[in-house]
Order: sequence, then structure tokens, then C-alpha cells
Amino acid sequence: MAQMPVRPTDPASAAPAAPDDRGPGRRVRRRRENLAGYVFLSPWLLGLIGITAIPMLISLYLSFTDYSPLIPLTEANWIGLDNYRRMFTADQSYWHAVQVTVTFALVAVPLKLAAALAVAMLLNRTMRGISVFRGLFYLPSLLGGSVALAIVWVSMFNRDGAFNSFLALFGIEGLPWVNDPDWALSTLILLAVWQFGAPMVIFLAGLKQVPVELYEAASVDGASGWRKFVHITLPMLSPVIFFNLVLETINGFQGFTSAFVLSNGTGGPVDSTLMYTLNLYIAGFVDLDMGYASAMAWVFLLVIGAITVLLFNTGRFWVHYSDNEER
Amino acid sequence: MEPITRGITPAQRTVPPLSRRRLLAAALTVPLLLGAAACGGDDEGGSGGKTELSIYWWGAEKRAELTDQALALYTQKNPDVTFKKTWQGNQGYFDKLATLTAGGNAPDIFQIDDNYISEYAGRGVTLDLTEYTGNGKLDVSKFPESLLKYGEVDGKLAGIAMGENTQGLVYDKTLLSKNKLPEPKTGMSWEEFIDWAANVSKTANLPGTQDASAVYQALWVYLRQGGKDLYAGKQLGFDEADITKWFALWKGARDKGATPTPDVIHEGNASDVSKQLVATGKAGTSWVWANQMPELKKSTDSELGVIAYPGDPSAQWARASMYFSAFRGSKHKDVAVDVINFLANDPEAGKILGTDRGLPPNLDVRKQVADTVSDPNMKQTIAVQDELGKKFGPNPPTVPPQGHSKVRSELVRVAEEVVYGRQTPEQGAASFVTAAKAAIGQS
Repeated sequence: MAQMPVRPTDPASAAPAAPDDRGPGRRVRRRRENLAGYVFLSPWLLGLIGITAIPMLISLYLSFTDYSPLIPLTEANWIGLDNYRRMFTADQSYWHAVQVTVTFALVAVPLKLAAALAVAMLLNRTMRGISVFRGLFYLPSLLGGSVALAIVWVSMFNRDGAFNSFLALFGIEGLPWVNDPDWALSTLILLAVWQFGAPMVIFLAGLKQVPVELYEAASVDGASGWRKFVHITLPMLSPVIFFNLVLETINGFQGFTSAFVLSNGTGGPVDSTLMYTLNLYIAGFVDLDMGYASAMAWVFLLVIGAITVLLFNTGRFWVHYSDNEER
Repeated sequence: MEPITRGITPAQRTVPPLSRRRLLAAALTVPLLLGAAACGGDDEGGSGGKTELSIYWWGAEKRAELTDQALALYTQKNPDVTFKKTWQGNQGYFDKLATLTAGGNAPDIFQIDDNYISEYAGRGVTLDLTEYTGNGKLDVSKFPESLLKYGEVDGKLAGIAMGENTQGLVYDKTLLSKNKLPEPKTGMSWEEFIDWAANVSKTANLPGTQDASAVYQALWVYLRQGGKDLYAGKQLGFDEADITKWFALWKGARDKGATPTPDVIHEGNASDVSKQLVATGKAGTSWVWANQMPELKKSTDSELGVIAYPGDPSAQWARASMYFSAFRGSKHKDVAVDVINFLANDPEAGKILGTDRGLPPNLDVRKQVADTVSDPNMKQTIAVQDELGKKFGPNPPTVPPQGHSKVRSELVRVAEEVVYGRQTPEQGAASFVTAAKAAIGQS
């Protein structure tokens, strides 16, 4: 649109002197164009309204009721803030699940980003067959949320699993990792960290954008590899780091599949893998307390939203955009 | 946007808006029409003399085969009725059933058990079958009375038992004979049993028994032997002291080396039949239901035996292992009830179904099946259940109240806290009683 004034042949931009062209005819055309836009948007729009917005609003309503999936929606009783009160004051397993989830996110997200960045830097060089390596490292995240992967993980970290057989080579007697309440969450974290492919690819793209001259200049000044990393790579990469951090934090809080598979849907052993979403699932689909589960979901949404806002606010202090004049 | 308008003559311009509007209309109406058509299809399923009933159950492949055959027999006798059959393993079954119900698409007939029947009946999902037993469309005259009663929730007949079972302690016969160890006997006290298991651990170098502290039906028998119960109506039938004793009993068993390590106990606490320790070869005995023995046998080469749980066997009872219920919102209620009636009472159907879901509920059918069954494990199961049936006391428990399945999962959680040594039996008992009260809504 910005170029329109420089096109004198365009009737619309030549119009200022001719009031006729700015009148209702133009507005109608505009409206028709908008309509066409909405028509083309409509598959997505219908999905957004029908599959996301309306169910979300219904779940907001349900969070104030004692709804169970076994009764019709209309028979749910309004119980005000009872679900929220129960969550914050009476339900110990709720706070336990919060604690498990926060631990998981606090440990898994930084480790995953560090692993992704480290591997991205290794793969950011010219070498024969480098694209094969990139593909291989990305593979685990393609299998990402899959149930099969979690099942493999369980059998690897059992008492008689592959990992303990490996430890036995060095004469170490392993633990029943997935069945030990002190270690079960760690195996989940390891699984999450291992799936570093998605942030790695984004880091790799970011690394390619860092101007080579900066490194060359630093080398001329005699900077060590570490100093180049700290003073060039990290600042130049900070928008990408920020992007990955936000995405992975949200993902981390939402972890479900691996915990579900590892614990047969119970969050065990002794609730050590009771992630927030798993606890929510149990409340809604196993205990048939869908009203309560809806309340949990809304608190979850608000908390994740708040954390994201917080991250954006801290970003001001450490994220450097190279095109500063546009900020 | 720019290129669209540029260079188009006014004459041309008049046409596109119309077609765009048509396009919009079409875009909006097509999905609506499709949706309406889909709904229409559902409604018309029953007209024209043909009826398709949906039926849903959980179980292993064997059960699916047998149920298929029995339903095929029904269709053969009633060519107008066909079935849309869905089955799956135990895990996730009730999640899916709840989801189907929430969508208003509950199957016409579904299998259910005493963990959930009160939830479904209490919320009006199941059809009250009392009317049908009254007018003779559903024949329950050959049912043991207590078995029929075990399907009643708040005075309504919510489900028809498809099998009868009772607690069964399954043990590895091969392991015992190989090590020249005595077999456990019905009527042993809990302490005698634990000593026996400790001896097995020592001699056979394999944990003698799975830890039963997380097994609700074992706790239930134990409570009844002490004159208590799991529930008294819609209240808990026990107190903290009872649970402390129970947890302490098993702590003693672990200290004596009668049970496996905590992680293996945790593995064996999975509800999956194939993960029971006697089947995976990780312990000498498992705490199951007597009718599950033939199913366990499939996962192991060892010979298996089954007896009652320790203590006085008269505390056990004839439990409906599972029911078939009809959906109250079904469009074909009468047909659904007729199918349930057929599966429960028809001698031919009974012959096909055998004891897969437990002893047949109809006593005539049960006798006929007992006389003709060839599978040695099934034979043994029937013999043991018959034998135990004679000892059952006069006051069987009623069907558990709403919240029972939550009570069960809380027992597993707390018992494992104690097993892993994170809580003492006393602490565990206190937290279990609190959690169980919350689960059944007792103040």
C-alpha cells in the first residue's frame, strides 16, 4: 500500500481531486474485498470459533459448576468459586502436581536449550555430510510426543533395561529408574532434553545470520573462542534464544504424553510424575470431575500467560535486536 | 489487493461480488448441510425393520472372539438385529466410555464393573432394568439373589451381572514343586501366609508373594474378617486403626523378605492382568480374582493354582465381576435388553461365553458349562469357586458407592508411599482415611 502514491495511473491514488471516487462506490468495493478475505479465511475462522473459542467459553462456564461428563451440560449445577477454592485450599495433590511441573520445567527447559545450542554450534560448520548429521540430530524430535518413544524410554530405564546393562559394563548396579520415586521425574526430564531438535534447528538458522566479520574482527583483536561466544554469539543470538525460551517454557509446562505412558496414566510411582496436565486429565476423565478439571485448565492458562508476559518483560534487559532503530 | 482492482472495467466488476457472495453462502452452508446429513444418518439407523445396536466392552482378544460368536448367534436368530462392536483393553476403557457418554453417544449396551456402576447409575446414564425383570422381558429367575442385588444402585437395577467371581490368590505351582515347598492352603491366617511366603523367598530365591497392601479387594476381605467393611452404605466402613494394622502387617512382610523390592511391587500394582507378578515370574503369588487365573496362565509356562485369600474365607463374597448395562438414552432399549437377556440366559450363548467373564450368572447355564468345560485351568477355577461359594457368609457387601474408583487409586498411592518408606503405617493410615473420605464425599 505504501507505494500507491507513486503510481499516477492508479485511479484510487489519483483520486484526491475527484470526490466521486472516494464515495460510497469505493466503500462498497472495499467491503466486498473484505468479504472475500473472510470467505478465504472461513475454514480457519470456523475452526477457531467452533473448535477453540466456543469450547473454551463453555469450559470457563463449567469451571463454576459441578459438571461430570456423564450428565448433560444443562444439568450441571452452578457452584460459584467452589472448584477454585478447593484447588487452592483443600487439594494437596493439586499443589503436588504444581511442584512436579515447575521442577520439570525449571530443569528441563534450560538443559534442553543448552543442548540445542551446543549441538547447533557443532553443526554450524562446513563439512562433508553435515546435512546428514543435522537430519539425524533432528530425528528424535520428529518422534517427539509419540507414545512409542515413551514406551521405549520406559523399557530402557527399567531395572533390567538397556541403561542398567550399560552401567553393568562398568560394574555399577543401576536403579529401577522409572519405578523409583526419586528418579522417575529425572528420566522424564532426560527424555524431554533429548528431544532438542526443534530449538536446535532454530538456533542453527540464527547462527547462520551472525556476520562473519564480527568473528574475524574479534580474532584480529586476539579474542579467545569463549570470549567470542560470550560477546558475539550470545548477544547476536539473543532474539532467537528468547524465542526458543518462550516456546519451550510453554511446552515444558504442558508435558503430558511421556508422563502418562511412563506411569500408566496414574502419575506414579507415588505421584512423582504427576504433571499438571496429567492431574487435570485424571480429574476430568478418571474421577469424572470435569468442572474441577475445567477450573484447573483456566488457572493453568492464566499462569502460563503470566509467565509468558514476565518473560517478555525481562527480555528488555537481555535481548538485543540488531535493527535497533525500529524499536 | 491492488492488482485485483487495477485494469478491470466497470462491466466486469459487477459480476465477481455476486459470485463471491454465493461463494460465501456456499462456504457457510456446505459444512452445515454435511453436519445435518450426518445427524440425519444417525436417526434413521433403526427404521426399515433393521436395527444396529452398538455394544462396547473391555477385555483380551479371547473375550472378543467369544463375544463375537455369541452376538453372531443372536443375529442368526434375529436377522433384523446387527451389532456395531467395539472393544479394547482395560486401560483407557472408562476414559473412552465417559467421553462417549459426554458426547451423548454412549453405546446401546456397555460393559461396566463395580468400580464405576454407581457413578453411571447415580447420574442416570444406565437404564433402570427393574421394569424389564417385572414384565418378564429380562429373566433373572435363575440368578443367585445376591448376584442380582449386586447390580442395584439406589434401588434401581443398573446392570446385569455377566459373570460371578470372588477373590483368588493365584500361586506358581511349578516354582513350589521344583523347590519342594508346600502349597498354600485356603484358611491359613495372614501371619501364617506371610511366613510361608518368606520361606519361599529364602528357598526359591524368588519373592514369595506380591505385597497386597495396595490391593483394595485384599484389604476389603481383611476388614470383613475383623467385623468391619470397606463401606457402610455411603460411608467408610473402617477407621484409621484398621488401616494402620493393615499397613503394619505388610511392613512386617517386607521386613521378613516375603515380598519383592518396592519398584517390583509398584510394577505389580498395575491393573493390567498380564503385569501381575505371578505371570511375569517376579513373585510366587498374585492377588487377583479367581476367574482371571486362566488369563494369567496365558502369560506364563508355570502351572498355576488358585485358593482363597488368607484368613477366614467366609468373609469373601460372590461378586459380579462385570455387568452389561443398557444406555438410558438408547433408541432401541427393548432390543438392547433382549440382547442382554440372551447373553445371560441362553444356553447356547452361555456355552460359547464360558467362564471368560466369570461363572455364568444363570445357575442352569453355569451347571451346564461346568459339566462340559474342557480347559483344565477353567475347570480348576470353577471347582475352586464352587468350593468357596459354599463357605460364603450371609452378609455380602452391597455395590460400592460413587467415588470407589478414586478410593482405589488413593489406596495404591498411599500404600506405595508406605512401601517406598516415605510414610510410616500410621501416617499412611491417616492420609488414606482423609483421602478416601474426600473421594466418597463423606464429611
